[in-house]
Amino acid sequence: MATLSLQHFSKTYANGVRALRDFNLEVRDGEFLVLVGPSGCGKTTALRMVAGLEEITDGTLRIGDRVVNDVSPLERDVAMVFQNYALYPHLSVSENIGFSLEMRGVSKRDREEKVREAAAMLGLDQVLKRKPRHLSGGQRQRVAMGRAIVRRPAVFLMDEPLSNLDAKLRVQMRAEVMRVQRRLGVATLYVTHDQTEAMTMGDRVAVMRDGVMQQVARPQELYDHPANIFVASFMGSPAMNLYETTITGRGDGLEMRLGSQTVTLPAELLKRLPDLPSYRDRPLVVGIRPEHLMLPGDESAPQPAAGASLDADVELVEALGNELFVHFTLDVPRVGEQERALSADDIAAGDAPVDAGVARVQPRAPVEAGQRTRFALDVPWLQFFDPDSGTAIGDGRPVRQMGGPESELRPEPPPMLAV
Amino acid sequence: MSALSESSGARWAADRRRRRRARRLEEQEELVPLRLFGLGRGTAALITLACAVFAVFTLIPIVWVLFNSTKGQTSLLSSFGFWFAGPFKFFDNFSSLFQNVDGDGVYFQWFVNTLLYAVVGGVGATILSTLAGYGFARFAFRGSRGLFVFVLSALLVPVTAISYPLFLVYAHVGLINSAWGMILPSMVAPVGVYLMKTFIEAAVPQELIDAARVDGAGEFRIFRRLALPLMAPAFMTVLLINVVAVWNNYFLPFIIFSENSRFPLTVGMGVWASRAQASGDTRIFPLIVIGGLVTMVPLILLFWLIQKKWSGGLLVGGLAN
Repeated sequence: MATLSLQHFSKTYANGVRALRDFNLEVRDGEFLVLVGPSGCGKTTALRMVAGLEEITDGTLRIGDRVVNDVSPLERDVAMVFQNYALYPHLSVSENIGFSLEMRGVSKRDREEKVREAAAMLGLDQVLKRKPRHLSGGQRQRVAMGRAIVRRPAVFLMDEPLSNLDAKLRVQMRAEVMRVQRRLGVATLYVTHDQTEAMTMGDRVAVMRDGVMQQVARPQELYDHPANIFVASFMGSPAMNLYETTITGRGDGLEMRLGSQTVTLPAELLKRLPDLPSYRDRPLVVGIRPEHLMLPGDESAPQPAAGASLDADVELVEALGNELFVHFTLDVPRVGEQERALSADDIAAGDAPVDAGVARVQPRAPVEAGQRTRFALDVPWLQFFDPDSGTAIGDGRPVRQMGGPESELRPEPPPMLAV
Repeated sequence: MSALSESSGARWAADRRRRRRARRLEEQEELVPLRLFGLGRGTAALITLACAVFAVFTLIPIVWVLFNSTKGQTSLLSSFGFWFAGPFKFFDNFSSLFQNVDGDGVYFQWFVNTLLYAVVGGVGATILSTLAGYGFARFAFRGSRGLFVFVLSALLVPVTAISYPLFLVYAHVGLINSAWGMILPSMVAPVGVYLMKTFIEAAVPQELIDAARVDGAGEFRIFRRLALPLMAPAFMTVLLINVVAVWNNYFLPFIIFSENSRFPLTVGMGVWASRAQASGDTRIFPLIVIGGLVTMVPLILLFWLIQKKWSGGLLVGGLAN
């Protein structure tokens, strides 16, 4: 067990492509860190560099106190779970799990005992003699896990291990992976493109894009205080609604212009974002999470106050049973469409109008497609971004790019994950 | 009583019919659903017919050899070629094949020679192809592409074109009339390298090798424990191709061997045939026929043994997708 640290990592391929640039990351002992980003952002490359499958062009890789840049995978003491499981098809489940022990010259008796132990932890006791082709997808995934945990490595590396499972099994295995990791307490670097996995599994989440680290933080912090437009639009599904806006002063207060409408910015918000007044009369980007647009439960409920509401044309209502996704348009250009398209979850949104914003409201809210509807706006939760740099406009707290020691280690595990 | 047994008999028959029908349907399931793939019934029939014609065409000489291996020298030349004719001389022919009929007594020697050349040359070629194919498929080294193209370009050079320079080189290094002179060139098999590379790219995924590396396996162990078992079907195929190629090779041994005792079967049978034609020595004709039959048998046996190994889908289950 050890801390994994990547310092000033960079990777340049022979053809000149730069996959990583000055990449820093620390996975502390026992921590579950999720590295998330759109496909092709270099997250798998980073993982493979840690595993010893790719050379490190520049930078330092430490596992514990050892610099292991030029150490073979065998001596790095890392275990990896691959996206396609990479089980050895001609070996039985127990031979698959015991392979790494065999390579290390562990005696057959010890091997069998350790394999049994790992198999028991994953519920594979009954299938130890079978070949991978006689296993279900979920069982194969477990064998891949078993192969990693059997030798109690210093670090776990997981490369989208759940992406080949169907949705239901994925949720189940998500909990299972976390349970095993907690139980073994091994530092884990988990790569995924799925922001839901990142949010639910990570003690901390590192968001990257085009080989550059964007933000490292605990999931809720990442969601509530994204460092820039990319993180804001990548994390959360449906994605954050981003619009061009300007802020103008009115007396001692401020108000935000959103197309033809104005929203009053309360003192509460300005207290959270002390830098905001200095952006007065300059173009800005405002971010509104779908759940911060609300509808009253029934027609008799009081209408939201002017200045804390938005009138929008509803284009489409998607009923999910427990909530509604309301797709709407405003008379303002949207921002960040490109980044949104990269997120797989958004593509799944299917036939929704591309230029529409989304509100997430309660299931029996009175709303119909084609109507002009007034949404209540949870103004204190608005996020603002500099349109040129894309960075979040200060909330008075330092933006943590590196995930250094200042952010707290492990949040309480959500109770529903007990399996 | 009789009505009861009758009805139970009828029930039993109906049951059997049902089971047969179920089995027939099951068999149909395994067939390619032609209609689904848009292949017309006529087209399918035509293709089947063409295949049948080709099969008959291929089998005719073999059938001829089978019939005529049972005939003595008189009936061989006078009777209809595609039926038996007495007296039955198969065993006589077979035993005299391995006796000193022509004064040289060499059929057995030729047989052993051929076996030696084919086994050592074919196995050697297959091992080299496997190693080279694995290297080309799974290691990116400087110039690997260029080298592979170079290997493939060797396919374009007919052996006939290099026979004269080869002969000169052999004369210099003393490989004329040496078994190595036959075995060494047989070990060079560009087709094998190409087949192995293509197969390995599909059957031994990079991810599997990566997984083994992280598991702590060295490169040689990865090759032996993981890659080789997965390559078995291709290995067997290439082995078969190479052994058959050496077994049937006529031209190379024809130019490098002048000693009767070094000949493989191909050249030896050729010598017999030309002598029989030149001298009109009809005693030799039955021996040529049965000699041809005996030459075929080992290859047929090899096919029969190896085709069991051609179980595809070995990889199934190792990877998702």
